[in-house]
Amino acid sequence: MVINMKITKTQNGNSLCLALEGRLDTNTAPELENAIKGSIDGVGELTIDMTALDYLSSAGLRVLLGTQKIMNKQGSMRVTHVNDTIMEIFEVTGFADILTIEKA
Amino acid sequence: MTADKDGMRGICAGGSRDTSMISIRHLCKEYPGVTPLRDVSVEIKKGEVISIIGPSGTGKSTLLRCINLLETPTKGEITVGGVVTTDKKCKVNLVRRKMGMVFQSFNLFAHKTIIENIMMGQVDLLLRSRQEAYDRGMELLRTIGLADKALAYPDELSGGQKQRAAIARTVAMEPEIILFDEPTSALDPTMVGEVLSVIRGLAGQGMTMMIVTHEMKFARDVSTRIFYMDEGGIYEDGTPEQIFEHPKRERTRIFIRQLKVLHVENLTRGFDFPAFMTQLEEFGRKQQLSQRQIYTMQLAVEEALMLKLLPAAGEAGKMDISVDVEYSEREELVQMRFSYSGPSFHPFGSEEDLSGRMIKGISKKMEHKYADGVNHFVISI
Repeated sequence: MVINMKITKTQNGNSLCLALEGRLDTNTAPELENAIKGSIDGVGELTIDMTALDYLSSAGLRVLLGTQKIMNKQGSMRVTHVNDTIMEIFEVTGFADILTIEKA
Repeated sequence: MTADKDGMRGICAGGSRDTSMISIRHLCKEYPGVTPLRDVSVEIKKGEVISIIGPSGTGKSTLLRCINLLETPTKGEITVGGVVTTDKKCKVNLVRRKMGMVFQSFNLFAHKTIIENIMMGQVDLLLRSRQEAYDRGMELLRTIGLADKALAYPDELSGGQKQRAAIARTVAMEPEIILFDEPTSALDPTMVGEVLSVIRGLAGQGMTMMIVTHEMKFARDVSTRIFYMDEGGIYEDGTPEQIFEHPKRERTRIFIRQLKVLHVENLTRGFDFPAFMTQLEEFGRKQQLSQRQIYTMQLAVEEALMLKLLPAAGEAGKMDISVDVEYSEREELVQMRFSYSGPSFHPFGSEEDLSGRMIKGISKKMEHKYADGVNHFVISI
């Protein structure tokens, strides 16, 4: 089992894609938060790609919510390739209504 | 074999002391390197049908074999019908005549026919005439549907038929109690039923019996009393209803519900969270749980333990937090059972809490109970 998270950044003009791999939990959420803080300036389109994300907890949800708030001011944000289990988390917490989500 | 009317009256009166048939005091049996029985004290009354259940190696058979003196107890005293059998001067054969024993492996004489097997003890020990022994033998064989096998040799019979014949041989000796040591364990599953129905019939006639068995449904149906054996003794003793429906003790519950358990205790703030996540995944894979169930278990630990209980323990001091992950294959249910001391505290007490919403949304049920200074928080998945 992968116990950490890998973040791959791809920048194209003012669009930024962060591909997450592994687990977004209490231990790894601060990494994502720092990665976003360090690269979000001037970004108009943010994509969080969850193709290879296995696990998401409330700590990850809080980072996503904070990021959505920033992006509301400067552009748009999409969460893509969300698997069924993680989609269920978005649904039961009401995040499915707050975020723009594309299922896998 | 007829039910002793006085004996039956004794039982109906609530089993007073004078109906005690076997009395065991501080029985201990040690073998080099292993102690199956540490300290067993129990009374067995006339008319009781006691099933002895429990995991392998917990002394169930050893207890029967000590009662029958097939094993010499290391310490302790056994009294059978007022005679102290553990006394060196005790006439073992006289005591043994009161007790029949049925073994897993039948133990019929292969070179004698079935009826001869049943007649032998009656003629040699009860001093019956051959005719009397034959008549009694045939009567018993008829009741268990084996009259046409009277002249067959054991090898010509199926396992189930052999065991039924072995029971008939034991009953022919008019014992006061019959000890069964896993009577169906050596049988093909299709033959278990016929043997159990013979034992059931004996129970119906009021025979006192002790049965070591792994057949739980049978134990529940036929017994008046259950011994759950574990940790070197009779860990829990009760009626079938008590033991199977409302076991009081932890290990009984785990055994009865056939739970697979992962236990982690002494959880403190510095515990190895990633290692625990890995442990949960391995446990889940081993039990062939779905990825979603494993996910939910991990989420329960993270949201309830990491984000709620451990921070609360940080403020309130030590809380002795432990987690039991229990999986029941039969009920297809995983339960995460958190126990912790301190004041009453529901980890997801606040409605608006994100962690609580998540767990509530993806689990089947959440329950919090507080009793005797201990919190029990259970998430069913």
